[in-house]
Amino acid sequence: MYKVVIGLEIHAELNTNTKNFSYGKNDYTKIPNINVNEVDLGLPGILPTVNKEAIRKALKIALALNCNIADEVLFDRKNYYYPDLPKGYQITQSTKPFGLKGWLIYYLNNDKKTVYFHDIHLEEDTASLEGNNNYSLIDYNRAGIPLIEIVTEPCLYSADEAIAFLEYLRNLLVFCNVSEARSDKGQIRCDVNISLMNENDSVLGTKVEIKGINSFVGVRTAIEYEIKRQTEVLNSGNKIIQETRRIADDGKTYSMREKVDAVDYKYFVEPNIPPIKITDDYLAEIRKEIPELQYERIERYLNNGISLTDAQIITKDLDVSNYFDALESLVNNKESARKWLITFVLSILNKGEEKINNLFLTPAMLANMINKIDNGEISALNGKEVLNEAILTKKDPLLLIEEKGLKQIGNEEELLKYINEVIIENPKQVADYYAGKESLANFFVGMVMKKTNMQANPVITLKLVKEELDKRK
Amino acid sequence: MYSKMMIDDLRQELDENKITGEGLFKEANKLAHKHQEKYNSFVTILDNYNFEGTSNTLITNIPYALKDNFSTKGILTTGSSNILKDYIPPYDATVYKKLKEAGAILVGKTVLDELAMGGTGTTGHTGLVRNPWDESRMIGGSSSGSAAAVALGIVPFAIGSDTGDSVRKPACYGGVVGFKPTYGRISRYGLFAFASSLDHVGVISRSVRDAAIVTDILKGCDENDMTSLPDEDIKYIDNINLSVKGKKLFYLKDICDINYYPNKTPELEDILNNFKKVINNCQKIGIEVYEEEINKNLLNAIYPVYNTISCAEATSNNSNLTGISFGVREDGGNINQVIFNSRTKGFSELIKRRFVIGSYVLQRENQEKLFLNACRVRRLIVEKFNSLFTKYDGFIMPTSDAIAPKFNEKTDKLSDQYLILGNHLIIGNFGGYPSITIPSGFVDKMPIGVCITSAVENDALILNMAHEIEETMTYRGMIVGEEDV
Amino acid sequence: MITKEALKKYANLLMFDMSDLEYQTLEEEFAIILKQMALIGKIEGIENVKPMHFPIINYQVLPRDDDKTFNLDVNDVLLNAKETSANQVKVPKVVE
Repeated sequence: MYKVVIGLEIHAELNTNTKNFSYGKNDYTKIPNINVNEVDLGLPGILPTVNKEAIRKALKIALALNCNIADEVLFDRKNYYYPDLPKGYQITQSTKPFGLKGWLIYYLNNDKKTVYFHDIHLEEDTASLEGNNNYSLIDYNRAGIPLIEIVTEPCLYSADEAIAFLEYLRNLLVFCNVSEARSDKGQIRCDVNISLMNENDSVLGTKVEIKGINSFVGVRTAIEYEIKRQTEVLNSGNKIIQETRRIADDGKTYSMREKVDAVDYKYFVEPNIPPIKITDDYLAEIRKEIPELQYERIERYLNNGISLTDAQIITKDLDVSNYFDALESLVNNKESARKWLITFVLSILNKGEEKINNLFLTPAMLANMINKIDNGEISALNGKEVLNEAILTKKDPLLLIEEKGLKQIGNEEELLKYINEVIIENPKQVADYYAGKESLANFFVGMVMKKTNMQANPVITLKLVKEELDKRK
Repeated sequence: MYSKMMIDDLRQELDENKITGEGLFKEANKLAHKHQEKYNSFVTILDNYNFEGTSNTLITNIPYALKDNFSTKGILTTGSSNILKDYIPPYDATVYKKLKEAGAILVGKTVLDELAMGGTGTTGHTGLVRNPWDESRMIGGSSSGSAAAVALGIVPFAIGSDTGDSVRKPACYGGVVGFKPTYGRISRYGLFAFASSLDHVGVISRSVRDAAIVTDILKGCDENDMTSLPDEDIKYIDNINLSVKGKKLFYLKDICDINYYPNKTPELEDILNNFKKVINNCQKIGIEVYEEEINKNLLNAIYPVYNTISCAEATSNNSNLTGISFGVREDGGNINQVIFNSRTKGFSELIKRRFVIGSYVLQRENQEKLFLNACRVRRLIVEKFNSLFTKYDGFIMPTSDAIAPKFNEKTDKLSDQYLILGNHLIIGNFGGYPSITIPSGFVDKMPIGVCITSAVENDALILNMAHEIEETMTYRGMIVGEEDV
Repeated sequence: MITKEALKKYANLLMFDMSDLEYQTLEEEFAIILKQMALIGKIEGIENVKPMHFPIINYQVLPRDDDKTFNLDVNDVLLNAKETSANQVKVPKVVE
């Protein structure tokens, strides 16, 4: 068995309004070439103008990933020829990336793991090529959209680790409001670098790069296939060729080009974008915008006695976690908040594929209901019914309780009225109860529930039933 | 008669209704066609009067020419290269937009050395440009057609671009004024990039005053050009007549001394003697002129540093010319072949040689000792001049080491032999310094000039000094055939 | 010494080719260029100097706001393309 070593290069599209270096609109659309201007086309005479928001968002991520931050904004040109690269060079960062040497803690099941980053930098996306065997069509809408590139060190050791980390990273990008990071919109892509080494070796094996994977599923497929392929190569006594491969629809990777002919991109500083100072004040301002991240929230929940499993569920979505925090602050019984969120709220969201921010039920409404159920004003069953109806009809649950007259009856005098009726109407069961069938107490409770349209407080009713029956013995 | 007039006189004629804008345009158009076959100033001559002014300015209805590497929406813009021979831009360069809004009238797009990468005016795809003073001689480049159009009196001003000397040298060879303002003073948006850290927009005219008028219109911060300077409140035309008494200039002692040259020619001697006369004139109006010495190794490095940096940036800047979404597309079995064939056919050999050099210096294994070292020496040169500019208001030199060469004398091939005197203009591009050449006399019946360069952002000062020096001589406003020899 | 083969390789990487005569001219130019560049390398104190990438030092420049958008009409986007289809630029197949 060989030791697998993986490094990832993640590209995520930033959710800015305009492109990275031009006024072109940054928008997902299926209509070709409507978000394109002369700068995006790389026409003669154009000049880049860098987007303030793109810089801000990139710095935000570099800070969130605990990087050393550059002292100024500086860009470089990466020169190569390809039909999706209109200028014949990409504006990127290689001299002074925004962030160097960061790290991120994530959980894989119950284990805490750390990923280390080589650098985080800002660059621009290429145009999209759609082709068949005879010709290709070029759509420049995507050309120039801001991309943040996050490069890890080779510090992941399995497909599971890679995926778990990617999920955390995606959540972080979404939490920080820098990217929608949706695979189906092509907003997050990944290159995988993978090598195998003997367990006791200190030197890494030959690295193979798999480029342009569009989904996390694809990342897993690529890693698993490569492990299999490279194992076979090594086991048969051959060497791994250092090369770039791509993943095909059949789940296999295929060679694109050998690293021996590695392209020299002739990087040099972009002369049209003068350096812009990054001040400590500016960084402090951006830092304030970073929300409490997933790992920190999990730690907080663990300290509050929530299980790791539940904590991971709740923190998967920032909005769910925020909802939970609000809910918890309003309910009297904290355990109820956790229970209701996970078993009730999340199951509704999953069923309907809804976002929690669109849920009609606010934390305040739900907290009210939970408190009423917990202190017996309304039965759990009725409570759930009201909540479901509230979501459907978009009516305040308190209103619905009034309308349906569903307030739970806890008043002993009122309950005794019904209990007496039930005892009189069911002489046989009374006799059986006196004969020793103590469990029939529940029968009487059930009859009272029927009479009261399920509104009788079952706990109090049971107590009173037993008392009354004992009294009349 | 209009060909001799400069902007103020034309303005008067227009304002007094002695001629209409369209009338003036028709005169310019006639002259443009008249001289086209012999001198070949234009790639495109516009035959329709098109007024798009939105306010009244000093240049409203004044005809002008624009070098064909400035993007003009709907009007052919070729960069004088075959690969762009059919290219119609969908957007305007900022300077073109400003000139339109100021009401100036475009007469035509002028010939340049292909993609601005040359200094002879012989490499444009529509043929070479002849010097109006002597048709057996070149007018230099790369703003060849613009200089010729002004020298011929077709237009009172033309716009060019200057990366190493490309406005100033041809202006000097054409006996006219060539002004390259501070880097970023005029927006480069829409100027086909040659070497981005060296490119400047420049103005060619027949007087310093006219250069100031036009620069006042063109200057300004541009949201499309991150290297453009913030707006300033002053107008250069208002400061042009100020006294220059007490201003201090320096020149390079050895370089301007005929005895420094072992192979001196009578031509060089005449040029340096003329320069001495100009220095005298400066002193007569109260300018103090001093001699300075700069390390020759540094000065000799100017030309190689320029070649290294300009070729490197040019290679990258022209990587967009592939024929894919614009430019002449040749056939090919797959996209790589298409790009390959388009670039092979579309570029002239000279350009290709420049690109290979540029690519070579940027290669991973060479970049440190070639490209980056050149960038380091650039800094040393600029730091030297910056420190001199703390003591002096400017630096004055003969613009060129020679009169306009004959066509068979000079090519654009890289030369082993070069004189510092022939390359000092590059200093203005290295440091982004404002720099202007004005005609100062004749040698062998060909015009020569002097060039003044100052510290960054001293555009008003340099126009002022140049204007006052120009006033001490009689070459202001001359067109071919009207000189005072 | 740069060989002609090397020069041809460099040219091809730039996606063009030249005539034999031009490669010869280029070879000569290269000899000159390399000699000149050696001059650059000999300047004293160069090791401690930061390379200059911008002509004007100490810029006070600001990045652009993210609100205003500008897009060309799709016809202008395609105006200069030799071949188009379905509102996109059409090119022969792309070799991976």
